[in-house]
Amino acid sequence: MNPPTFEYFAPTGIDEVIDILAKYPGEAKILAGGQSILPLLKSRISSIPYLVSLSEIKGMSYVVEGKDGVKIGSMTIDSDLENSDLIEKRFPILHDATKQLADPLVRNVGTIGGNLSHADPANDLPAVMISLGARFTIRGKKGSREVEARDFFMDTFTTALEPDEILTEVYIPFWGRNSGGAYVKFKKNTWNFSVAAVAVQLELDGNTCKKAQIATTAVSPKSGRVESAEKHLVGKPLTDDVIKKAAEEVAASAEPVTDSYGSEEYKREILKRITREAIKKAISRAGGN
Amino acid sequence: MVELSEKLVKGEGRFVDDIQMPGMLYLGFARSQYARARILRISGAQLTHKEVNFDIAEVGEGATEGGSELLKHPVLAKDYAGYVGQPVAAVYSDDRYVAEDLIDSVDIEYEPMKAIVDPEDSISREEMYPGVKSNAIVDRYFGDDFTPDSTDIVIERKMVNRRIATNPIEPRGVVAAYDGNKLTVWVSTQSAHAIKEGLSEALKMEPDRIRVVQVDTGGAFGLKGGLFPEYVVACYLAMKEKRPVKWIETRREHLLASRPGRGAVAKLKLFAKKDGTITGLKGEVIVDNGAFTGGSGEFSPIFIVKQLAGAYHLPNAYVRALSVLTNKAPQGPYRGAGRPEAMYFIERLMDGLADKLKMDPVELRLRNAATETYTSPLGFQVEKSRPFLESAIRELNYEKYKGKENVGFALLILYHATFGGESARIKVEDGKVRVWTGGNAHGQRHDVFIKTLLNEELGVSEDHVEVMKGDTDMLAEGVGAWGSRSSMVLSSAVIVAARKIREQIEKKQGKYTVQALLAGKWDHYEYFNYDRMESSLGANLVTADVDDYGRVKVKDCLSYYDLGRVLDPDNARGQNAGGAVQGIGQVLSEELSFDEDGLPLITSISDAGVLSADLVPRFDIKFHKSESPLPSKAKGVGEAPTIGVPIALSRAIELATGKTILETPIKPEYLLPVEKE
Ligand SMILES: Cc1cc2nc3c(=O)[nH]c(=O)nc-3n(C[C@H](O)[C@H](O)[C@H](O)COP(=O)(O)OP(=O)(O)OC[C@H]3O[C@@H](n4cnc5c(N)ncnc54)[C@H](O)[C@@H]3O)c2cc1C
Repeated sequence: MNPPTFEYFAPTGIDEVIDILAKYPGEAKILAGGQSILPLLKSRISSIPYLVSLSEIKGMSYVVEGKDGVKIGSMTIDSDLENSDLIEKRFPILHDATKQLADPLVRNVGTIGGNLSHADPANDLPAVMISLGARFTIRGKKGSREVEARDFFMDTFTTALEPDEILTEVYIPFWGRNSGGAYVKFKKNTWNFSVAAVAVQLELDGNTCKKAQIATTAVSPKSGRVESAEKHLVGKPLTDDVIKKAAEEVAASAEPVTDSYGSEEYKREILKRITREAIKKAISRAGGN
Repeated sequence: MVELSEKLVKGEGRFVDDIQMPGMLYLGFARSQYARARILRISGAQLTHKEVNFDIAEVGEGATEGGSELLKHPVLAKDYAGYVGQPVAAVYSDDRYVAEDLIDSVDIEYEPMKAIVDPEDSISREEMYPGVKSNAIVDRYFGDDFTPDSTDIVIERKMVNRRIATNPIEPRGVVAAYDGNKLTVWVSTQSAHAIKEGLSEALKMEPDRIRVVQVDTGGAFGLKGGLFPEYVVACYLAMKEKRPVKWIETRREHLLASRPGRGAVAKLKLFAKKDGTITGLKGEVIVDNGAFTGGSGEFSPIFIVKQLAGAYHLPNAYVRALSVLTNKAPQGPYRGAGRPEAMYFIERLMDGLADKLKMDPVELRLRNAATETYTSPLGFQVEKSRPFLESAIRELNYEKYKGKENVGFALLILYHATFGGESARIKVEDGKVRVWTGGNAHGQRHDVFIKTLLNEELGVSEDHVEVMKGDTDMLAEGVGAWGSRSSMVLSSAVIVAARKIREQIEKKQGKYTVQALLAGKWDHYEYFNYDRMESSLGANLVTADVDDYGRVKVKDCLSYYDLGRVLDPDNARGQNAGGAVQGIGQVLSEELSFDEDGLPLITSISDAGVLSADLVPRFDIKFHKSESPLPSKAKGVGEAPTIGVPIALSRAIELATGKTILETPIKPEYLLPVEKE
């Protein structure tokens, strides 16, 4: 379990990172927490000639409250998100996810930027960011740009990032007063990825659903919004029947694959049940009943 | 006193991969990508079978039915690959990273063939090798055919214990060095002597020229009793290059190409009278041998079948024992090695029979527990078990749980591998008492009871005693640590050796004193011969709940085992907890699964289903103490929990879900409750 040879860079500034990425397009990759990229190298699934570590760059790890939302530096580790009171209070859905993500050892080094940029459909944070409507700040040779979370994940392990670009910041807008969300994860085992997981973020008007954003983990080639299911909720009173229909739609629109953890049908069934659970939890957090 | 276990948890152990030597070469293997293929061409390899043309083992006695030279496991594949992960060619470098790069540069051209994957299909498929008479390398009947009474109740079940990897924390590993005459091998093992013997046979080298030294061994569970192709290649290369050679297995290699355990299917019919008295057993047991001999597949089905009476009075039995070729790594022993399979089969039949008769399963067991020691028609002696069972029911508080919890109960016989005996040597010099034994700890705490026994026999305090690890140059012969044997035969060898040392001193000085012992120079080697297989009884009680998603929560896991004299209660508790966790893993998640082409689906530890701490239940162990006839008066315990826990847990889950459990592991999907509309 030793990686193939690579050249290692540890620049102190983001511009230098971009320069190195641009110099070796496609051959240079960022090394953040290393919890996805190092296993790939060590098991020799990938070979990456140039690794650019972000560890020497100061000021990329922060969770800051602004007027309309929260800014998170891309090198912020999962544990810092998990232990942030601000996150727990304002975005319980993200708290749900970070406290169940991998194990404490991985969370102590894995970063939000890496979790999102890796675009593994089994990673927990893409679905959470999509359902929260987060925006990502990206920098590259051509300057800085912003991308909506929902447009960032293109395919399995593929994002909107160009080879010379780096994800620097995640911005999560505050939701209205009567809003709430939940992330329910059906884990393979306690320290691992999901068989299926779902992120549900809602805004209510009384008992009626005003806004709904739902995204899934591990049951499709990429995490994305399940708009067909959201439609079942928006504008309706959230009765058991409405919740059930939405959950069925989430399950029906997923594309799980059979593996040693279970068949496609089983995974759909699990997804249906956890979606109901997540919607109910989101409603109660939004102050509904 | 510093115990070995304390040293190990503090990170002060010295494992095989910690060994560094100047000029060391690192060995790596290019492995078959196919489950079954002809090898047409190999390029880019440094070593192939053309040069390293050895086999791992003689075709065993059991293999005579299908006997063929082709059944022997070549250390490097010849023109045929029989499983994914089989070593085909070797590469090496003085840089570990480069050695891994070199693996990628080996190019092997294959002509794939249709793999034989399902053991139940194997016999009806074409022969795996030209010249073998059938794909059954073992096909024998035990007992005598009988005609069941036409009024008998029959319970018929197919039961499966699928393959699982042994998964010790430390994988396999070896370092070999050669000085021009003598080959020295440091290895993570359960038996230095077995490795020496195997190497001598495989390399056709005089045993005197081989020294095998056991280093700290981070778990073994049956796997590390044997010799492996990689070890032979490492030794060959060390002799060829006259440089030390290291090979350390990766976890992926472990999952593909070490010898996994279990892998047995039983199709059995149990006959009984309407009052629950069992009258006979018929059917067959099929072991998934893998593609070559050299594992335990030649022995395993026979051992399983002979135990199938469980702890009961079984008047009639006629059972076929089969071991069949499949395109998988050779099956090997895994903690219990045939015992858990046998007891699972008979005990799950008993639960099924109880349900059919609407009887309490424990009541049914009481009715059938042997009231006298007898020899079962399948071959093994069955201990009188009724009095033990009566006290087990009391001690485990069965009545308290019954009807209130989902409670499973197992009665088991543990057949200890006491045959063959064991060796010990005590050498006193410079005030130090050093002890070598044929078997050694690989995660247990042999050092603790050896020190206790020496204190009893010789009055010497623990501080003066040093328990050494296996070393074939320090000990003429030895067997190994497996089969729940060490507390019985190893301890007895130590006791007898200590008594002989005492005699030496008495003879020379008239009287034995500790001072005389420590002041003098004494040395005694003892081979404690023992040719019987002992047994002990045990019982487990497990409770469990299952949630709306079909997730199992194991609650209480209670054991009542006959340990005879309890040499080290803490160690017994540790053995109980560890073995129970493996038993739970077998039921809930551990499996090496394959697709229909024989490609392994489990290639990473994250998918191997090893239990995590949050699933560990509350344990309790109570000891029954009926002394063994051995000098140590002890009975073994290491395998008991892997035998009893899967049975009791399966039953608890059955009660929680209303679903019949006949396979391990249980697919989570199977337990998902259907929702009411
Ligand atoms: C045992 C184990 C269990 C795990 N279980 C889970 C789980 O349950 N849920 C889960 O979500 N994840 C899980 N993971 C993955 C873990 O969360 C990783 O930390 C995460 O996927 C990647 O983050 P990282 O900081 O480690 O990134 P790295 O591994 O360093 O990088 C991952 C990828 O992202 C790129 N990258 C990193 N940072 C940036 C950036 N700022 N801009 C652009 N590209 C960047 C890298 O080039 C690389 O391609 C698990 C990992 C392990 C080892």
